[in-house]
Amino acid sequence: MGQTFAEKVLAQKTGLERTVAGQIVTVKPDRLLTHDNTSAIAATFYKIGVKRMADPTLSVIVLDHVVPAANETYAISHQATRAFVAEQGITAFYDVGEGICHQVFPEKGHVWPGAVIVGSDSHTPTAGAFGAFAAGIGRTEAAAVMATGEIWLRVPESIRVIVHGTLPPRVSAKDVILYLIGQLRADGADYCSVEFAGETITAMSVSERMTLTNMSAEMGAKNAVVEPDEKTLAWLAGRVSQPFTPVFADADAVYARVITLDAGALTPQIARPHTVDNVAPVTDVVGTRIDQVVLGTCTNGRLEDLRAAAELLRGKHIAPGVRLLVLPASREVLQAALAEGVIADLIAAGATLLNPGCGPCLGAHQGCMAPGEATLSTSNRNFKGRMGSKDAAIYLGSPATAAASALMGVITDPREL
Amino acid sequence: MRPTQITGRLWVLRDATGRLYTDIDTDMIFHNRYLHITEVTQMGQYALDNLKGWEDFARRARPGDLIMAGSNFGAGSSRQQAVDCFHALGIAALIAESFGAIYKRNAINSGLPLVTFPGLAEVASRFESGDLVTVDFCTGALIRNGAEHFQAQPFSKVQLDIYQAGNLFEYGKVVTG
Repeated sequence: MGQTFAEKVLAQKTGLERTVAGQIVTVKPDRLLTHDNTSAIAATFYKIGVKRMADPTLSVIVLDHVVPAANETYAISHQATRAFVAEQGITAFYDVGEGICHQVFPEKGHVWPGAVIVGSDSHTPTAGAFGAFAAGIGRTEAAAVMATGEIWLRVPESIRVIVHGTLPPRVSAKDVILYLIGQLRADGADYCSVEFAGETITAMSVSERMTLTNMSAEMGAKNAVVEPDEKTLAWLAGRVSQPFTPVFADADAVYARVITLDAGALTPQIARPHTVDNVAPVTDVVGTRIDQVVLGTCTNGRLEDLRAAAELLRGKHIAPGVRLLVLPASREVLQAALAEGVIADLIAAGATLLNPGCGPCLGAHQGCMAPGEATLSTSNRNFKGRMGSKDAAIYLGSPATAAASALMGVITDPREL
Repeated sequence: MRPTQITGRLWVLRDATGRLYTDIDTDMIFHNRYLHITEVTQMGQYALDNLKGWEDFARRARPGDLIMAGSNFGAGSSRQQAVDCFHALGIAALIAESFGAIYKRNAINSGLPLVTFPGLAEVASRFESGDLVTVDFCTGALIRNGAEHFQAQPFSKVQLDIYQAGNLFEYGKVVTG
């Protein structure tokens, strides 16, 4: 009997010949990702009574959630993180302005095929786009990983998602994952490892694959993975210096569920308030008035996403009364978008440019909503009150849908423009 | 050793139509506007204050109480406060059809008992807030008002070991000596 990706990679990591779903294993992860919550994790770390991290090279820290600090409380938290970094001799530290942790993490070479990554953020599975096992963990255990270098994991059951066919114009990876979440619901992949396969996935860029693995968290996935190929290796070239061996699921692996999707039949999708699985075709909500559009985040803040929006906005101007906030996922993305003229096009169209970071996505600063307002965002969560007022609405959609809607001032099907 | 069988007063989290709430996310449990709070004792007052109909839960809950909810309790972010707020209130256990993956890890590692109850949706109508419920973590046996018997999942070995040690750190001391 063959092994799934998760069973195989966790077996290799523990020196076992094989593991099976449900088994509890203790592993030494290759990297631990933390962000602004490092200061709280460090406080917990000190409480354990340990002075030094088991292995400072394990730790990758990116300040991204509320950057630059919105007030004194956040500034003190960032300061505590910088002090912890200096004290422990952590070299992989990325301060304000570098970008969102899930984007900076692969850019700086901290993920490779076959790696085991844990991170104190629920969107850590993003790194699975590079063929890694990447799972979100809590603060307490992040502190424990710092102290011991180890973590217990339950080997997850696996779901194989096979996508066939060619995506129609202006239908993207975001629409694929929104549709899938709508079908599987918010708990459809709870504790599971999701393996994406099929020629549609193979045809996708690394950036699009990251959108899929990023949002798998919204159906409860522990990790999500795309098999590495030439595109993965080309993307990682010059970033990852250490040798690695890709891990592939066996052809006769046993899955809890196999799901097949036809990309050719897909239309632009929207998640309506207030849950991510409240998904409908965009045609069901066209004409809904919006006050704000957010283009960016770890889900859709990469160069391809900004390009998709600029293509619709170039030479035009957003509707009166709409605020378009653009925040590239990282400094690297921002520089590339500047070099291509994409940023100039977006700003000329009326966009407000924010610094790379999480920005308004978690409602702490930069674009919170007033009661009665609505935002269409390319981000991954639309929980009630997430972006300011509890009486505001968040719709989730693709960069193309976001750009089309910013132009018209109401939710718009990007295929109509 | 902490007790492996507990009895407590039950809160059944239902919406205005009487349906057991499912997919209660971490923003409903502990809203992001309170995320700057790091002191556990300060967290209890905000527990469930963004869940419609349960905004005053913190004032109604007493130490030793149990909470019951539908599937996917704790979906969403990895925030530890969504677990710690129940520690602050002295909640003895959470019972749900299923839990969000990271939420489950957070709770287990912090020593908060989570009881997974597959099939709860079918029998949820038999439970009311105020019921006295006994749960055995080792066997999964669940008894309502001393009379009606149900079967939930027993704790896994690692869950039981961490719970009995107190939390992940104490457990680590036990394991590593």
